[in-house]
Parts: sequence; C-alpha cells; structure tokens
Amino acid sequence: MQRRRETMSYRRRLLELAAPLLALLFALLVGGIFLLAIGKDPLQVYLTMFRFNLSRLDSIGSILYKSTPLIFSGLAVAVGFRVGLFNIGVEGQYFIGALLASIVGFSLHGLPVWIHLPLVVLAGMLGGMLWAWLPIVLKLRRGAHEVITTIMMNHIAYALVLFFITSVFLDTEQEMVKGLGSPQVRMPKLLETARMPTMHGFLETLGIELPRHVYLNWFFPLGILLAVALFVMLWRAAYGYELRAVGGNPAAAETAGINTQRTMLSAFLLSGALAGLVGLSDLLGYFGYLDIDFPKGYGFTGIAVALLARNSMLGVILTAILFGFLRRGAEGVQAFEGVPMDTIVILEGVIILSIVVAVQIVNWYVRRQEKLMKRRQVTMERAGGD
Amino acid sequence: MIGGEMLASAIRMTIPILLTALGAIHAERSGIVNIGLEGMMIVGSFWAAFGAYHYGPLAGLLFGIMAGGALALVHAAATVTFRVDHIVSGVALNIIAYGTTRFASLSIFDRATTSPHVQSLPAIDIPVLDRLPLIAPLASNVSPVVILTFALVFLTRWVLSETTFGLRLRAVGENPQAADTLGVNVFAMRYAGVIISGLFAGLAGAYLAVEHTGMYVEGMTQGKGFIALAAMIFGNWGPIGAMGASLLFGLSEALALRQVVEFIPYEFFKMLPYVLTIIVVGGIVQRSRPPAAVGTSYERGE
Amino acid sequence: MPSPVIETIGLTKAFPGVVANDRIDLEIRAGEIHAIVGENGAGKSTLMRILCGLYQPDLGEIRLRGVPTVIRDPRHAIKLGIGMVHQHFMLVDRFTVTENVILGAEGTRWGRLDRRAARRRILEICDRYGFDLDPDLAVEELSVGQQQRVEIVKVLYRGADIIIMDEPTAVLVPQEVQELFDNLRRLAKSGKTIIFISHKLDEVLDIADRITVLRGGRKVGTVKAQETDRRGLAEMMVGRPVLFSVDKEERAPGEPLLKVEGLSLKSGERYLLRDVSLEVRGGEIYGIAGVEGNGQTELVEVIMGLRRPTTGRILLAAQDVTGLPVGRVRGHGVSFVPEDRHRRGLILNMTVWENLFLGRHRARRLTAGPLLRRIVMLGEADELVQEYDIRVGSTGQPVSSLSGGNQQKVILARELAGQPRVIIASQPTRGLDVGAIEFVRQRLIAARAAGLAVLIVSADLEEVLALSDRIGVMYGGRLVKEVAASETTAQELGMYMLGSTTGAKEARDHVL
Repeated sequence: MQRRRETMSYRRRLLELAAPLLALLFALLVGGIFLLAIGKDPLQVYLTMFRFNLSRLDSIGSILYKSTPLIFSGLAVAVGFRVGLFNIGVEGQYFIGALLASIVGFSLHGLPVWIHLPLVVLAGMLGGMLWAWLPIVLKLRRGAHEVITTIMMNHIAYALVLFFITSVFLDTEQEMVKGLGSPQVRMPKLLETARMPTMHGFLETLGIELPRHVYLNWFFPLGILLAVALFVMLWRAAYGYELRAVGGNPAAAETAGINTQRTMLSAFLLSGALAGLVGLSDLLGYFGYLDIDFPKGYGFTGIAVALLARNSMLGVILTAILFGFLRRGAEGVQAFEGVPMDTIVILEGVIILSIVVAVQIVNWYVRRQEKLMKRRQVTMERAGGD
Repeated sequence: MIGGEMLASAIRMTIPILLTALGAIHAERSGIVNIGLEGMMIVGSFWAAFGAYHYGPLAGLLFGIMAGGALALVHAAATVTFRVDHIVSGVALNIIAYGTTRFASLSIFDRATTSPHVQSLPAIDIPVLDRLPLIAPLASNVSPVVILTFALVFLTRWVLSETTFGLRLRAVGENPQAADTLGVNVFAMRYAGVIISGLFAGLAGAYLAVEHTGMYVEGMTQGKGFIALAAMIFGNWGPIGAMGASLLFGLSEALALRQVVEFIPYEFFKMLPYVLTIIVVGGIVQRSRPPAAVGTSYERGE
Repeated sequence: MPSPVIETIGLTKAFPGVVANDRIDLEIRAGEIHAIVGENGAGKSTLMRILCGLYQPDLGEIRLRGVPTVIRDPRHAIKLGIGMVHQHFMLVDRFTVTENVILGAEGTRWGRLDRRAARRRILEICDRYGFDLDPDLAVEELSVGQQQRVEIVKVLYRGADIIIMDEPTAVLVPQEVQELFDNLRRLAKSGKTIIFISHKLDEVLDIADRITVLRGGRKVGTVKAQETDRRGLAEMMVGRPVLFSVDKEERAPGEPLLKVEGLSLKSGERYLLRDVSLEVRGGEIYGIAGVEGNGQTELVEVIMGLRRPTTGRILLAAQDVTGLPVGRVRGHGVSFVPEDRHRRGLILNMTVWENLFLGRHRARRLTAGPLLRRIVMLGEADELVQEYDIRVGSTGQPVSSLSGGNQQKVILARELAGQPRVIIASQPTRGLDVGAIEFVRQRLIAARAAGLAVLIVSADLEEVLALSDRIGVMYGGRLVKEVAASETTAQELGMYMLGSTTGAKEARDHVL
C-alpha cells in the first residue's frame, strides 16, 4: 500500500511538469525559427545568452531585478485564475497603483522612512484594488465578462495616468543643467524617505559586491515572501481552501455552503492589490518618479508567468526568474549578436499559447489513463475486489 | 461644431472599428470569442504597409487581409481543435502579434515603430453628393474602402440571414449539439467564422495603415480591436446594429481628436470609447443577448 | 405476414460496469404505434440511440424491412428513414420554425435559402397530419407542445417513415398530450411507424398498438395493448425480487426534524413543485419515489437553500429556514448527498481529503485561527477512508481518479461525519456497482438507527421500498400519495409513479 502511494505521486508530479516543459521546448523551437529567418544561428544565440546571463554578476543581479515586477504580476494573475477569474487588468491596476504610490511618495513631507515607505507601498496596493473593483462588481452583479472590462480599464488607466502626469502633477521645478537636454515630462520626484533601498549593503555583508548599475532592491525578497505567504494562505488557510473550491467547481462550492460571490470578490480584489505592487520596484527602486515612459507590459507578461507556473504561487517565483532571465538574455544577444529584443515578446506570446495547448494535450492523456484505470477498477470490484 | 468635416472624420474613424466588428460577428455567432482581433488588426496594418510599399496599395490591402486571416487560423486551431480557453488564446495571439510585428518591422524596415510612407488607393468622389453643401466633405475624397465597408455591412446581413452558410453558422453558435445531430459540421463552421473575423480585422488594420495614416505606426490600433467587440455587443451581434454602434464610437474618437469642448482635457475624450464600452458590456444600457453557445467548446458525446 | 419494418435480433450493448442492452429481440410492424416501456436504467434510451445511429451495438443484428443493415451515424439513420424526436429538444430557440426544420437539409450547399419553398413544404406536412404550426414564429415563442411538433415536422421533412419518440409526454400538459396522440394516430394511419418510449403506463395503454417491456437490459415480453392493463404492465416492469433484504429494526420515530409545508415553485408558467407538504421524523427514513423529472430535484434544492420557493415554508426542528442560504441551512444540521456527484458533490481537481471536508472545513476542531489543522484533517481523512472502505491509494490523490462508487463513498463519509440531524440523499446509488450500492444503503440504515431524519429520493422503486419507513410518491410536481412502506407494494407505487390513479388524475386536471 505504501509503495503504491509513492509511485502514484511520482507519476503525477512528472506529468505536472510535462506541460510547462513541453511548452518551453516548443517556444524555444519557434524562437529558433525566427532566428534562422534573420540569418542567425539559434544554437549560437542561445549559447551566448546563457554565457552572458550566468557568467557575470551584474547579469545575475539584473535577472533578479527584472524578475521582481513579474513575480507580483504572476501572483496577481495566478490568484485570479485560482478563483476562476481572468485578471487581464493587472496592466491598468499597476499603473494606478504606481500613480497613487507616486503621489503619496512625493507629497507627504516630514515622515520617517519606516512610516513613509510602507505608506507608499500600501498606496500602491490600494490603487490596484481600486482599479480591480469595478470589473469584478460588474461581473458579479451584471454578468459582464471581466476580460473586456479589465482591458478597457487598462486603456483608461493609461490615459488617466498620462493626464495626471501632464496636467495635474507635472513637475515644473526641475533643475536643469544649462544646455543639456529638455525637461522630463514627469511627476515630481519621490522623497528619499519613499525610496526602496537596494540590496547592495546587505549583499556586501555576505561578501558579494553587486555592481552599482544593478538596481536589485528589497522588493525582490518581498516578492518571494509574498509568494510564500500566498502559498500558505492558499493551501493551509480556510480562506484559501474556499478560494480554490470556488475556482474548482462553483456549483459544488455553493452546495457545500461556501459564499461563492463573496469569495470571488475578495479574491479578485486581492489580485488587484498584488497587481498594484508590480510597478513599485521600478518606481521606488530605480526611477524615483513617474513619467510618461513608465514601463508597460508587465501585466501581460504576468499572464505568461502565471500560466507557465500552472498558477502555482511558488512556481511563479521560478517562472518570473525565467522570464527575467530571458529579458536579460535579450539585452545580451542584442548587444553581442544583433538580435532584436522583440524576440522575447514573441517568445512570451508563444509560451502562453503553447502552455495551454500542452495542458490540453497532457489532460487528454491523463484522462485516457484514468478511464483505463477505472475500467480495471470496476471489473476488479465486480469480481469480488481486494 | 458638428459639421460635415467632423462627420467625415468620424466616418474615417468608424471604418476600422466597423470592419473588425463585422468580423467579430462572424466569429462570435459561430460560438468563438475572438479577443485576438486587436492582434489581427496589428498584423494587418503592418503587412499591409509592407505590401503597399513594395507592390502598391491594392496589394497592400490584400497582404493585410491575409495576415489577419493567418493569425485567425492559429486561433481557430487552438480554440476549435485543441479546445483551449478562447480568451487565453486571444490574449496570447495579441502578444505574439505585437512581438512579431516589431520584429518584422526591424528586420524589414530597420525601424521598430514605423514604416516608410506608402501610397494610398486613389480616393473617390461620390458623383452627385459631393456638390451638396453640407454633405460635400462626406462625399469627396473618400477612400474606396469606406464604400466597401458599408457594402460589407449589407452583404454580411444578407449572408447571415439568407444563405445556407449563414444559417449553419448561426446554428453552431446557438446550439452546436442540435446542429451536429442534423449533420452540420460544427468544426468547419467555427473555423470559417474565426478565419473570416481575421480577414475582416486584417482589412481593418490595412485600412488604418494604407488609407488612413499612410504608413504603419506601432500602436496605431489603440485598442480598436476591443472597442469593436463592444460595438458588436452594443449592436446586439447584428451587422446593422454594429454599424450604428461603430459610428457612435467613431464619433467619440473624432471628438477626442478635435478637442471640441474647451475645459474637458484631451485625455478624457480619449477615454470615452473605453468608458462607453464598459457601460455597454456592463449591460447598464440594455440587456444584451449573445449567441447561446458562445465561448464554449464543443465535444461530441454527452 | 409482411416482414416487420424494423427488427433487432440479439442486440447487445455494454458499457464499463453495465450491460445496457442484453440480447434484445425486437419486432416492429409497419404502420403501428409500438411502445417501449421500462424503468430508468432498463435500457430504453440505449436501444433508441442504437436505432438512430448514435451508438453501435456490440452484438446482434438490425434488419430494416428484412434487410440486414448497419446504421452508421445519425445522418445515415435519417437517410434510411429513421427519425428521432429527442426527449430534450434539439432546437435553436432563436430560429424560426422553418429555419429549424431546414437546418442541415437546406437544399442548396452554399447558396440562397429558399424559404418560400421550404415554407410551402412545411405547411403541406402540417396540413396532411393536422399539425397547427406557424412556420414564421421563433421556436422560443412556441409552447412546449408546439415545439415538439416542430421536432416531428423535422423528421417528416426529411422523409422519415419510422419515427422514434423518446419520452414525448414528459414535458406536456394533459391537453397537449391528447393533441400529440391525435397527431400520432393520424401519422400511423398514413403508414408511418411510431416507436414510443415512455414510463407512463396510462398513456402507453391509450396510444400504443403493441407494447414491449424492458427490464434490466432484457426484453420481458411484447403484448397487445388491448390484451393487458396497468397492473399487468407494472408487474412486468417492476416485478423482480428485492435485491437485498435489508435488516431494518423496528423503531419508534422521534420528533419531526424536517417539515415542509405547502411548498410551491414556479418557473414561468409551469409549476415545478405544487403544494408539497411532508415531514420526516428522527429515526425514520422517508423515501420519495417517482420517475425523474417530477419535481424531486427541485424539492431537494429548495429544502437545501439552493433555490427559493415561490410559496411555502421549510422547518428544521421547528425553526423556519425558508429562504436561508445553503451555509445557514447546513448550520442547522442538514447534510446533503446531491444527485449529480460531479456537478454539485465534488471538486474534481481537489484531493480526496480536501473533498472529505468540503463544507465542514471551518469547524472549530479543524482550524487553528485562519489556518486549517492539516494534520488533524489528514488523520481524520484516513479514519474515514478506513471506516467507509474507500479504495484509494492515498488521500492526497485527486478525487477524479476514484471510481464512481468510491466517489460516492467520499460524499457520504463527508456528509455523515458532520453529525447532522437530517440527511437528504438524492439518487444515492445511481451509477454504482453492486458492492457500493449495498454499502450506501447500509449507511443510510445506520443513520436512521442513530436517530437521524433521513430523506431519500430515488427513482429505483425497490430501493425506496427496501429502505423507507414511509414513502411519498411525486408526480407532476405534487406529492400524490403518502403511505407506510409496509402497507404497499411495488406495483401499487409503480402505478402512482406513472400517474395512473385517481389521485394523479386530480393532479393533472388542476394543472394550468
């Protein structure tokens, strides 16, 4: 009995990994085709990417820095999927989060850092939650599909943030060096007390000298902690159990007495809060201000991160780092091999598509196995059983 | 304030939305949600510029149409054959479209975000109407695609309600099981619906690049692919309704461009189409009635 | 004698775990109305699905007008002149009658629909057989009886000579039933053959020329309608020895723990439940007998709080719980084994132990603050697996990997473990193999012995008789008969289930 228990779970674990690996392989293949199309040798390019990424300390730091927003984004999307909802609105939610965080960051004077910084972070989460509120309410009350509403909210967010930057909070008191450049279109700089410190000091105590131009900051460990916390919540807390139940089968959850509507609402708002954190690593750890070129696209990459991790909270850490790896690698191969960075974007899209197709294929295979097993079980039981 | 010139501009803004909405109608009424229309417009716009640059405007339009159709084929395979979630497939295709277009643009034109200028189709002046004072701006210097679009509205209406193809397409989106028991090929119909939507979206993108702006610019679609879905919903999944809804959206975009009202900032006008979409989709204005089986996968069996 | 228009010889079809059709010899003559009757699970639908091309038989032969034939698929069946009118209509609600009829048989491949010609043909058919249909109305605007007529026209339009009707009167009110029967007689007179599947004995005796009775996958016999009566048929349908003699001790039941008063549920114009009142006392099993689709599902859903009744009250141990949400109802001590395991009973992608605590997961002894006491849960899960003999490698497996019987045991274990006062079990042994059936029934008896009020709903008459202390029969949304199990027989219950007594007649006449 004991051995049967183990072999079963090994097989199952292997199958769980099968789909993501298949998807990755396929994506690399497709990437290879694109590379061939522009006359590059795929193996050479991939090799360069690996060497560039792993042999330099600034690469490793950069990988982790780039993965930070993706951890939050992947978590946000994954939490949504776990309760059965598709949060494509992470994109807009993190913009609004960055907006609120920025405002709190530059306008509250005289606070010590250990009050100001948490307030800024909270403002970010609040912004994300706010932006997630309308779509979920429309879905629960009117059955409006959350995909279309959240995508619209994304576009509105872009416009709104642009408006706030250019017309409301435009920083007109910028110190200009004479004759050098033009004023940036941005909001006022965040106060020192609102900035997230980088990890250089801490790493030095470990004997690691991280180069100055890498901005790895404490949001990274925060992201990991959050992932672990969400994992614990999802798998060890009563609320997480209900969340998964509603996502797994709302009818059965309802029959069991779980309030499915309330669960979906709170989970989606949680997703929004996580989304609000996505832009903060860049805002508080690198830029220090919100401008019109604030990075876009983390929301969509988050979808790839979550799906590739099969919506596992801990898995998201790995896949986010993987995507950070790919992005850093893209910089490297662009510099050394002349390959455009957009290959990465293509890879991201291909990964999303191939992972869901791979999941279907693996599912089909698993279902076939289960049917065969069940047939065997029933005939065994009919014959008298064990 | 709202004069002939404004209306002409509104119509020009309407065309991409309307074309894509017409395409969306074919897909959704066959039961497949196509969120990837934005991506199909994007590839349509780029490859149309490519085609027009090398072979002239007509070729450009054809290239754009084909590009949209090709992307749609992937969506069809994913949703109909592999029974993948429609939304995820659409989102993935949008990302792929964005990435491959940048890639192609860099490789072909050495510039990621724009293409060189391309020639448009010769503009048409509608014979009698272009003399009338108020209507003149609407009837002169009109792109042939505009005429084509409005013709397509009525063609779509006719096909959907008066042909065998249209009947079967609609049946498959309402009750695929019933259609299947009567010998209708559900899979083939859904493939057709999706591919047609891609062709239309490709044309819409092509129009943007070749006729409207005269070149490809990254991001020129600006979410019109999603607005088209809203227009379809607002138009209750019918071509005439979609036409009306698209005109409304086109008008709001034209207003945004001209910043008609002084004290309302430009950005808020830009938001108008999106806000309108939310209002429509949220059923705040009317209760909408989608095809009964839209968004579902079909598997023969239970 | 001319060869029968359709004949099956030794037709056999098996599925994993059950032989649905067991060497069936059928013989149907041209121009007759031939009824096929049997209980749920007797094999009627499987047989019909084979005849209309949806299934292929494992063994045996089909002969059409004396010629051995293989019916490859539904299209082929239509070509052979066999048309099926499904119990659940295959209609596109938004389309007009014409559009529904011509779908798939438009006459042209890609081109223009010729609505006028189609309309004409449809009106011809309607004229000839006396159907009253407006071809231009949308199907959703039609009454159920008219919709059914559209289905019949569909098969006639395609030239069907043999029309199979699957439980056609299940959704009709009495007047519509009579109209249907008039239509069917006219069709038969003009040479069409009608195969009529039903469980409603009265109607079958009314309309059919000959009747074939199926039981447990086998044919019991074929009789002429004139030469038999309700008792005779019921005996053929139901008369098999009780599978298990269940040891039920005599008990004096306690207080009424579950009471339902005047419960009605309306959906549009139809009454799904009509003035249902009953009570279940502690230490007794109340069985609701009835063929599926007569309101049992709705009754249970209303009691549990999944649906709100239009009128009426529900009392749990004298407390009014009408309109309360499911969680609150459960909080009053009610457990529920739903009839559809996969839809309402289990979360398939969760593990066995997680499913064992669904609904009870917030119990104080299972939680430490916001967290679940996993070790406690796993331990208890192991105990439950032992106690209920759930065949599983590890409780960490997804519950989807268990067989149907074991899945049902998981649900049962869960629902009984919460120390409920009332347990409602809907179709508790459906789809289970013999061993699991016995197990479930023993558990329900044990619950009774422990003083619970047990309400079971079952389409299996023997099961109801074997387990229940008192029995209520549901027909057409009403509780038409309540009787002590010891004072009735399967035959008598069968007749009430099939609507064929004065009580049921009253029910029919009072429907809108």
